[in-house]
Amino acid sequence: MHDQWAELINSKASGANATVHKAEVGDSSITVEAGKLKEACQALYDGGFNVLQVITGTDYLEENPRIEVSYILADFTNNHELILKVKLPRENPEVDSVVSIWKAANFLERETFDMVGVRFKDHPDHRRILCPQDWEGFPLRKDYEAAKEYNGMEVYPEDKLNLDDQVFGTKTAATAVSNKAPMTNGRY
Amino acid sequence: MDHQITVNEDIESPKDPESERLKTELLTINMGPQHPATHGVLRVEIQTDSEIVAKATPHLGYLHRCFEKHAEAVDYRGVIPFVDRMDYLAAMNMELGYSIAVEKMLGVEVPMRAEYIRVMVSELQRLASHLMFFGVYSIDLGAFTPFLYAFQEREFILRIFEEISGARLLYNYFWIGGVWNDVTPDQLHRISDFVDRMYGELDKYHNLVGLNKIFVERTANVGVMDAEMCYQYGATGTVLRGAGVDWDLRKKRPYSIYDKFDFDVIVGKGEQGTLGDCWDRYYVRMNEMKESLKIIKQCLEGIEDGPVMGKVPKIIKVPAGEIYMRTECPRGELGFHLISDGGKTPYRLKVKSSCFTHVSMLPEVAPGQMIADLVATIGSIDIVLGEVDR
Repeated sequence: MHDQWAELINSKASGANATVHKAEVGDSSITVEAGKLKEACQALYDGGFNVLQVITGTDYLEENPRIEVSYILADFTNNHELILKVKLPRENPEVDSVVSIWKAANFLERETFDMVGVRFKDHPDHRRILCPQDWEGFPLRKDYEAAKEYNGMEVYPEDKLNLDDQVFGTKTAATAVSNKAPMTNGRY
Repeated sequence: MDHQITVNEDIESPKDPESERLKTELLTINMGPQHPATHGVLRVEIQTDSEIVAKATPHLGYLHRCFEKHAEAVDYRGVIPFVDRMDYLAAMNMELGYSIAVEKMLGVEVPMRAEYIRVMVSELQRLASHLMFFGVYSIDLGAFTPFLYAFQEREFILRIFEEISGARLLYNYFWIGGVWNDVTPDQLHRISDFVDRMYGELDKYHNLVGLNKIFVERTANVGVMDAEMCYQYGATGTVLRGAGVDWDLRKKRPYSIYDKFDFDVIVGKGEQGTLGDCWDRYYVRMNEMKESLKIIKQCLEGIEDGPVMGKVPKIIKVPAGEIYMRTECPRGELGFHLISDGGKTPYRLKVKSSCFTHVSMLPEVAPGQMIADLVATIGSIDIVLGEVDR
């Protein structure tokens, strides 16, 4: 099926350069050029993908740093599912908004902006959604470090912190959590 | 609901002299974050022209804990307690979706007995969650008694869950590869009795509330979400079925062992008003509970002896790749987009939350409604803010 969809995208949106990534475990995906995303989405929408399920932004730090934005589409008539991807640079990632195709994109794109800092061109209401409007940084970036202070309040006060060596987003955090966190009950 | 229709016309045709006369200046008020009708800490900023809502803007994030960031820092088993805390009224269903996603990537076989227990427990949880909806929605609309009825039965389910998992709300019961504790014959027997009793109870509830004149007046023709709108916003679950669309993942993309069971998908019919109104969503949930009872009954008949945990490596390392796993939760589809780099922790775990999607429909539905109808609408989409904000 993925080959058909890739063909559909390439025929409707010239220059989208849709390539299929066939996965051995899990789900396959289709990657398109970031500049042609909206046209590719329009082609898929016309081809039956009537629901935008979710937008995932993923930050890759090591070996070819990039941000991947995955659009998970679903066809509720023929019962299909598709992961459509674009690759963006880590510095100032920007891509067209697809709110005009699926209204669901409104909140989902705001969340992606809030969490990984991808900007969406022509979004009607481009604000943060889960974090406060004056929040700094994008929490789901791999190199994110929580600010020491927020609006004059100390974020991790020394005397209240029992996981002093925990830095979110680093691999050492895994051991820090599993050794000390009370919720694991010493199992892990 | 005559006034509903005339109100809509007033808003849409400002040239009408009568409505011009009735218009006053817009007033901005906050509904929430501590408003009881928002079911948690949701703030809806509404601009009203006297009683009529002109614009509603939901403000989210009061319960935001960035679960997705936490998930990147703990190992695959350690994510399950976090998953519980998203939709705390349907924690079992949350765990089911996550466990299946990881098991599919790992290629782990879940023993049959564990599958039966999983389905049975998930359906009991769906029942508990819908009972909660029934009680709380009645309170939203000004009836207190149904709440007590609903909680009485819900209590039984929570007691059973406490016995089998050790916790009342946040279970950590489904582990990767199965469930961590077996159920006893005595518990199965009690669940069976409960199922038999529940059929009658549900009919009683429906007669008490669903066909009540006041309830019908408050919900029929209110907050209409039609199928086209549901697709546009990506609404799923009871909201989509309330709009008359026959879509249930348990039938359409069966996961676990749902393909073994015989049950019907309930869709709204617009019996009391327009298709896709609040009453239809209520109707779908109430009748879905009976279907859950059917499934539980079949589980009790089909459950077989055997182990409840499959063979899972001590340290779980999911092969590099990605998977998107959707399951049908009480509030709609829950999707886990799991991206792995082959390490001991998920590289990225994104959750598709149906409540988040449903909240995004409010700005479209609210304009033209009375404030009291907005309460009815928010109640009818049955959101849990833990899942909205994650």
